[in-house]
Amino acid sequence: MSAATEAAQAPPEMRWRVDPFVLLAAPGLLYLAILFALPLALLLLQSFRDADGHFSIAGYIEFFSDPINLAVTWRTFRVAALSTLLCLVLAYPTAFALARARGFVQSFILVAMILPLSVGVIVKAFSWSIVLRSDGIVNSALVFLGIVDQPIRLLFTETALIVGSANVFLPFMVLPIYAVVRQIDPSLSAAAATLGAGPFFRFFRVIVPLTLPGVIAGVAFVFSLAISMYVIPSLIVGERHATLSMLIARSYLFFRDAQLGSTISAILLLIAIAVVLGSSLLLRRFEGTRV
Amino acid sequence: MTTDKTRRGIDRRTLLKTTALGAAATIAMPAVLRAKTKEIVIGCAGSHTAWMEQIVIPNFEKKYDAKVLFEGTKSTVNLEKMRGNRDQPYLSVVQMDDPVMILAVEEGLLTPITPELVPNMTKLRDGAVHMDGMWANYVQPWAGIAYNTNAMDGVESWSALWDPAAKGKIIIPSLQNTEGMWTLFAAAALSTGKPLTEAQYEIDAAFDKLGELKDQVLSVYTVMTQSFNLLEQGEISMLSGQFSSYALTRKAEGAPVDLAAPKETIFAMPSGICMVKDGPNPELATAYINEMLSADLQKEIATYANSLPANTEVTGMSVIPEGTPVFGPDWAFVSKNRKDWIERFDKLMAA
Repeated sequence: MSAATEAAQAPPEMRWRVDPFVLLAAPGLLYLAILFALPLALLLLQSFRDADGHFSIAGYIEFFSDPINLAVTWRTFRVAALSTLLCLVLAYPTAFALARARGFVQSFILVAMILPLSVGVIVKAFSWSIVLRSDGIVNSALVFLGIVDQPIRLLFTETALIVGSANVFLPFMVLPIYAVVRQIDPSLSAAAATLGAGPFFRFFRVIVPLTLPGVIAGVAFVFSLAISMYVIPSLIVGERHATLSMLIARSYLFFRDAQLGSTISAILLLIAIAVVLGSSLLLRRFEGTRV
Repeated sequence: MTTDKTRRGIDRRTLLKTTALGAAATIAMPAVLRAKTKEIVIGCAGSHTAWMEQIVIPNFEKKYDAKVLFEGTKSTVNLEKMRGNRDQPYLSVVQMDDPVMILAVEEGLLTPITPELVPNMTKLRDGAVHMDGMWANYVQPWAGIAYNTNAMDGVESWSALWDPAAKGKIIIPSLQNTEGMWTLFAAAALSTGKPLTEAQYEIDAAFDKLGELKDQVLSVYTVMTQSFNLLEQGEISMLSGQFSSYALTRKAEGAPVDLAAPKETIFAMPSGICMVKDGPNPELATAYINEMLSADLQKEIATYANSLPANTEVTGMSVIPEGTPVFGPDWAFVSKNRKDWIERFDKLMAA
């Protein structure tokens, strides 16, 4: 019997079928394939080619053999991770407040979350300098409260960068968590309470697991944005606290070293993919243990 | 008899034909219109925006009945745009710094301008036309140390940057920015005690001196406006390597800043204009360059931007502080070594 005949006689559920609704994603997928995946693949390939076009890993060796580059890589990761953590800490309760609020209050919180997205990063960076400078609001408050004797340096520090980037990326953490929280059935918590679960237990064993998909999505969004940010560190901390994105710009624009630029891009991408995939795997594993 | 068309106003075939014609017209129309419009795209620095919009573009568009579009960014970004569009350039003219011009020439991205096409070339002062007409300087701002007038009365010497009293109140430009070179050369002169014509080649000594400056500086910038904003706010007292076209313009607008001319030297910013090889509308491009090198336009730009005009027919300008020497470095030497210097500088400042 030929393979074609076998396929024709196979039970309907074994035949390969395409849900027509999947085709709705085709334009978006095609767009991403042409404008994102293809150029990115070419960029990654370039990192393995020397100036003569031959296969080479010299770019990676050169990058990792310089301690400064390792320090910059670690700083980039650290800043992205801490920015993501700060966003999570701020966004988690906000998402609950947003989900439970009604009417004007809910609209107000939503607008407060989304409206800052329409303000450019450059405008924000200038406004942060007013807040964080030595006679700014934060330092004045610290001195007034007696926490410090004299103004401390806040501008051009890693702390300013983390606070600034969290400010920009906060909505990308709030909205995915909010989307999940608003679907949680409130009676689940009540049911747990009737079974004797205390508030602490109910929160960590019932509510938190249910919000994890939103948390993972938010972490993926914010970490990806934070690790690749270029304008924010350029404006807030300058060249003394360079990040990988700033090294990429320097490689292309000033050194005109496409291999080095694509090598750093590949490293940056790998870190982002590793963290995002790692988060997803953790979630699946966690969900697996719950079943 | 009532047809399908008359009942509903339009039938399916007509609708399809009209849609197809409409789509074709939509796609084709901009190209057709562009072909008929006299239009050039200029690459320039972001800091040129004010005088480009207020002086150059209205003047040129009126005189030549043409449309001028401009993209203000860093010289190196302009270079990258030329490299990236080498086969189909969209920029006709670029205004950028001399050291980057040298790189553009080396990569074959420019076409020389000649007195036949650009008659005003012959009116420029000596040394303003480079590499057999590959580019020419038009107006040149001067550079010194910008300071906050509420914090200081002036800056006498480049050594003020190293004064312990100024610790944490200084920002310097990165060597990625052309104005970053001034701090490097000043460091070389202070370290060696030699005149700048010799000291500019003493780079090891310059970096040793910059190492002493490292703990003094609050930050190193590649985006100038944010740092200048901090100077105006009084968060820092000195901003090294600043140029007259921006600092003195801000002063005139009422900001509490001034530009000091340190006694050792001030520097001439290397502002050049060039024609992109195989760029669109070459006739319009040469006309634009000729206008930029003309006495009338240069006088207007130089007055607005507190800069030194290159056209010798412009007289009565006193934009350069009297009694202070003006230094123009060996840009070929800079261009040859800049990559190594940037790497060295970044490591020094990050360490």
